[in-house]
Amino acid sequence: MIFKSKPLWGEKTKLKSSYDVVIIGGGLHSLATAYYLAKEHGITDIAIIEKNYIGFGGAGRNTAIVRANQRTQHNVPLYKEALDLWPVLTKELDYNLMFNNCGNLNLMHSEAAMKAARMTIATAQFHGVESHLIDAKEAKELVPALNISENITFPIHGAMFHPPGGIVRHDAVVWGLAKGAAKNGVEIHQHTEALGIETKNNKVCSVTTSEGKINTRQVLISAGGYSAALIHDMLGIKLPISVLTIQAMVTQPLKPLLDHVVSSGAYHCYANQTLKGEVATGAHMDPWPNYTTLNTAHYIKHQAEALSEFLPCLRGVRFMRIWGGLADMTPDMAPIMDGNNQVEGFFMDCGWGYFGFKSCSAVGKYMAQFMATDQCPDIFKPFALKRYEEHRLMGETAALVNYTPDN
Amino acid sequence: MALTITCPVCGKRNGYEFKYGGEEKGPRPEEKDLNPQAWCEYVHMNKCVAGVQEEWWFHKDGCGSWFTILRDTTTNLEQEKKEAKK
Amino acid sequence: MMNRLDHMPTLKIDGFRKIGFIYKKKKYYGVEGDTVATALYANGIRIFARSLKYHRPRGLYSLDGECSNTCMEVDNIPNVRCENTLLKEGMVIKEQNVKGSAENDMMSFIDKMDWMMPAGFYYNTMHKPASIWPIAMKQIRKAAGLGTLSPDFEMPGIYDEIFPTTDVCIIGGGPSGMMAAVAAAKKGLRVIIMEARPWLGGFFEYRSSQYKPGKDKGSQSLHDRALELDREVNALENIRVFTHTSMVGAYNNNLITGFQIGKESDLFDQRYIEIRAKSVVVATGCIERPLIFDNNERPGVMQIGCALRLANTYGLLPGQKAVFSIGHDLGLEAALELSSLGLNIELIADIREDGQNPELLQKLEDKNITLLKGWVACKANGKKRVKNVELSSIDGLASKTVSCDLIVASAGMTPVTGPVTIAQGKLKYDAHTGFFLADKLPEKIHVTGRLLGLDNPLSIETSGTIAGLQAALDCENCSIKEIGDIKKSLKNLPGPTRGTKLVTAPVKGRKSFICFDEDTTIKNIKQAIEKGFDVPELIKRFTSAGTGPGQGGIPGHNLPLYVAKYQALPDISIKPTTTRPPLVPTLLSTYAGTNHIMLKQTPMDKMQREDGGIFRNIGVWQRARYFSNDLTCKKEIENIRSNVGMLDASTLGKFRIHGPDALKALQRVFVSDMSKVQQGRMKYSAMCNDDGCVIDDGVITKLGENDYYFTTSTGRAGQTVEWIRYHTRYDKWNFHIVNLTDSMGVINLAGPNARKVLAKIVDMDISNEAFGFSEYKEFNIKDCIPVRAMRLGFVGELSYELHVPSSYMLSVWLMLKDAGKEFRIQNFGVEAQNVLRMEKCHIILGQESEQRTNLLDVGLEFLWDRTKADAKTIGAVALSQAEKDKDRFKLVGFKMEENGRAPHDGSLIVDEKVRGYVCTARDSFSLNEAVGMALVDGPLSKIGTRLEIYEDECNGKRIYGKVVEMPFYDPEGSRMKM
Repeated sequence: MIFKSKPLWGEKTKLKSSYDVVIIGGGLHSLATAYYLAKEHGITDIAIIEKNYIGFGGAGRNTAIVRANQRTQHNVPLYKEALDLWPVLTKELDYNLMFNNCGNLNLMHSEAAMKAARMTIATAQFHGVESHLIDAKEAKELVPALNISENITFPIHGAMFHPPGGIVRHDAVVWGLAKGAAKNGVEIHQHTEALGIETKNNKVCSVTTSEGKINTRQVLISAGGYSAALIHDMLGIKLPISVLTIQAMVTQPLKPLLDHVVSSGAYHCYANQTLKGEVATGAHMDPWPNYTTLNTAHYIKHQAEALSEFLPCLRGVRFMRIWGGLADMTPDMAPIMDGNNQVEGFFMDCGWGYFGFKSCSAVGKYMAQFMATDQCPDIFKPFALKRYEEHRLMGETAALVNYTPDN
Repeated sequence: MALTITCPVCGKRNGYEFKYGGEEKGPRPEEKDLNPQAWCEYVHMNKCVAGVQEEWWFHKDGCGSWFTILRDTTTNLEQEKKEAKK
Repeated sequence: MMNRLDHMPTLKIDGFRKIGFIYKKKKYYGVEGDTVATALYANGIRIFARSLKYHRPRGLYSLDGECSNTCMEVDNIPNVRCENTLLKEGMVIKEQNVKGSAENDMMSFIDKMDWMMPAGFYYNTMHKPASIWPIAMKQIRKAAGLGTLSPDFEMPGIYDEIFPTTDVCIIGGGPSGMMAAVAAAKKGLRVIIMEARPWLGGFFEYRSSQYKPGKDKGSQSLHDRALELDREVNALENIRVFTHTSMVGAYNNNLITGFQIGKESDLFDQRYIEIRAKSVVVATGCIERPLIFDNNERPGVMQIGCALRLANTYGLLPGQKAVFSIGHDLGLEAALELSSLGLNIELIADIREDGQNPELLQKLEDKNITLLKGWVACKANGKKRVKNVELSSIDGLASKTVSCDLIVASAGMTPVTGPVTIAQGKLKYDAHTGFFLADKLPEKIHVTGRLLGLDNPLSIETSGTIAGLQAALDCENCSIKEIGDIKKSLKNLPGPTRGTKLVTAPVKGRKSFICFDEDTTIKNIKQAIEKGFDVPELIKRFTSAGTGPGQGGIPGHNLPLYVAKYQALPDISIKPTTTRPPLVPTLLSTYAGTNHIMLKQTPMDKMQREDGGIFRNIGVWQRARYFSNDLTCKKEIENIRSNVGMLDASTLGKFRIHGPDALKALQRVFVSDMSKVQQGRMKYSAMCNDDGCVIDDGVITKLGENDYYFTTSTGRAGQTVEWIRYHTRYDKWNFHIVNLTDSMGVINLAGPNARKVLAKIVDMDISNEAFGFSEYKEFNIKDCIPVRAMRLGFVGELSYELHVPSSYMLSVWLMLKDAGKEFRIQNFGVEAQNVLRMEKCHIILGQESEQRTNLLDVGLEFLWDRTKADAKTIGAVALSQAEKDKDRFKLVGFKMEENGRAPHDGSLIVDEKVRGYVCTARDSFSLNEAVGMALVDGPLSKIGTRLEIYEDECNGKRIYGKVVEMPFYDPEGSRMKM
């Protein structure tokens, strides 16, 4: 039988007193980095330190949408590579990541939005990523449930259609990467909390955990929404991050209704149908920092109102479950990836906001390269922390963000 | 969650009437000799406290005042402000 | 149709009132008071649906909606839980997830293929070779999902919403909930009770067993006691009862949400209820913990409450020959009641070796009903419905098979803990009762009855009173002593009883279902654990147990219990899985309630629409963007360049700032030196954020000493007060700022004939000498209408911006329209203005700038006054730091080469890399050529630089432009100054 009863990510082992690399956080970016360090660079003496269980945080709470239609040239290639990696990883890991290449439809509700979409589309096409501007009628052909009438709050003018995107089964990515990393010798220590990083002459020398002290030369913090607080507490480095709760929810399962991911900026809403048939939807963040992953009465109502307008047939469907996760937002909606800059041997991979899932594979690959060679890969260079004091924000967002006082 | 915030003018109200205004960082620094690091520290950098922090709020759908409160970011509950603050 | 039992006082049906409905295209009848499920049951329907994965037949199991067994399509709405949906005349009921019918489902063969589908099998299969996956995925999608929804489905019904506040909110209208309500209400508090069933009474309401309050008090039935409490509740005017109302969410600071199903007499079908309470009492009682054995969900297997309520509430005998496999006295009680109603009880297997109520034992003996202690059902046989049951002793040593058509199965009771966990209360496993009990509760939340482990009716009631008084204490209406006294009396009543902890019969569990909705078996759970998924939360994700429409009602308690037992973990490690709102699946239409469109309209809205305006949403406003179907706006543009037109610019932000420190505040936020503005004069300036990025521009007029009137862009108006107050929050300055955006309208009268038109309605000299370019005037029209007029040149022609009180807007507009008749004055819309100003290279923030564009990038450095460091002007530091960076984007004007057409807005400027983008470009009618503005890398901004333009869908073919001087139209500015 196909089914082999062996723990997916190795037997539980005791934490050693030293590793070549320590990675704090058991989410996707950590697992991917460890996987590539071991597989591509032969660095296998790695401990992943996870306070809960792998995939507890954002990795298990996102709605699994993948795409490469970002706004700027620094971002598109990174996400494109991530997108191209799903089938590759499925094969390499011998684990079905269930990439549903259904394409993404991003609705536009004004002439200004159509213009903004043109720029994003041109940027995608310039980088060899398929993306097209379509009108409302064409959008309705793709998603028959769409309401393209004029009498809704934000009438639909058209959409940005991005065929290479889709949905990946997020849990499968966690377990698959864990499986791949463990196979290559990486140790995954769940229910172990990182308590501090010790430095000597501004160099990393050890990490203290709830299970003991680990000597190490290199440490990566990629703990999703918890990164900023950890980095500040452990090393005193402040970051331009606001940690917000982002919510998502699913309806009861339905037979196939939505064949694409549909999203709308104006309605603050996306919706797609999972393989199980649930309509997964979300997007809203309460614009103040907090570390609770609680959902709100305000939001589930908002979401129902929004969907009632642009996908009105969903009024006859029931919401089944709502949950929250953390998004570590930066002022320019682009991540911070840096290493050896603030403290030698210290690497960080944070500020992903709600893009952490779609980027994990490519970021893991390059972060592994970065850590193995101590040379920052070109593709990471624009993402260094220094950009904020150099007044070089990334431009991933055209409009001012509304979760900082800075608007 | 249902955040409530106590406005010094209007009292305890629904959190959605307010707008968050960042961590309390003290008054604007003097412009003279403000190097890029120091500027960036004031403008962009946060402590991202997981716990009680002092922070600014604006009563947007109310009296229009800015004020600070103490809030526990791990519970999203407002804390009582101590009288004598250091 | 089955005969109804008709003599019990507990019945909720009216057997004489028939209700017709359509099921599978045939007409059937139920009776008033029936749910859809009971009506079908009465008509002999036993298989309601097929299960999600294996297409196993499913029937009535709980009657309280804990699983998807009775999810059907009702009036085209999918996934309706028929067991708590009241039957209505004419309803059309269909089966879901079947090929053929629920009775004969062609997909039922899948049930035999389970060996191919171990837990998580998807992850290990169907990806080799990769080309299989897309095909497999299509099949998976088709097979998955329960109900079907048409993309053009229109949801009927009226959905209401209310947002009451109250002192005490009580969740659950059973005995303890009602006691709590009465206790709190008698303290003078406002109380709300939410009860999921259409009536109060809970666990007492459908039982005819005796309620014995005490030695000296008379005995009555539990049903009568429920009615008595109901009357008491209804007699108190300060208790508001919401029946047929499910609580679905609980949030910080005691915000409780739920929804109510409307009665025939209500004006809504469903309504969303959001309650803000000072204190909350969770009195949700219990459900039954499912007993797990082979085929434990076959039609004919049901829980005790289900069997009992079918009879007592709906008058339906649940079967002919029954075997009971239970673990709680309720099972014995139900067997006795049902037996007296005519059900043949073949046998009762009780998990417990001892501890049964002796009175019940005696009665069973009197009735000759066999009771096997320490026995349990192991397997239900019968392909589509139960034919017999295999039973064994708990240790598996002895066994027997008994034929029957009904198995009443229940492992024991379990408190309904959902509301506690979603309110962030912590639960703890209690080894005595085998329950998860409330451990740490948030402030001002109290629990009663079962949630305290109580079982005795009087204890449960007393705990309700205590909770009611505790809630009153939260509202400062009760003394601690009073509560203490009642707590003492509770101590003298029976405490928690020992509960059963058995999860599963001694079987391998290949067909023993721990979760019905997701078809998860005991075997699947074992497989997951062996794979390393060792905590319930992970097992839930890996096997999807508890993620179905039943919200974990079936596996919620059993899963953590089983996981701990299977791994031989100590009790302390038994942790419940997470519960998430909504606790009951809730329609989107119910959450949405009444939808409101919240866009703002200007005073000219109606007239502009009458004049043929084509409206668009622009920010929070609705504005006329075009006045004809020609979206290039040729006529509108030409009219302004050669004649005169009017634009409704009322959406502009308008503010007055005054008070001793008004100037200081302006100095803080505007980049220019505001002290240089003379009284009665105006100045154009901009605001930056701390990054130096331009966030707003507008005109500031000095009305008097420390008294200014200023405009902002439409999009920023909402944040201006907040912004100015924020950036002066440490300064303790004394100024007032008033948002006049809605109280003032603005007319932009523009074009070479503008003066002639205006002159006809004002009584003053408005010649170029008297009222020159960039000057400000105040005057009254007809000695009555106060107008603030500014000579600005946004569109590049002679123009007047007239600020008029909103109430007079229509009058002034009509006067101008009338005065302009002889010139054929025309409306112009936002798009015409956009082109006109683009030809003049006047920027619109957000169009010629983005988040990272600073004041210098867009060429507005002339506005920046560097000599006011003391003002700590927002953005000044960043601007002086960024000034040295020559690689930043710069705004440039460009012309297309060889009379080429204008590129799309948003096209890229490229070489090997992206070097910038086109902000706005148009084929200009005024200039007869294509011009535009673009943000490009600094080195590309030199006049004469060739720009390589990459449009979307260009297939690599580029078009070219050249950087030219700005503005394009009337560079000397003579036309706006004429």
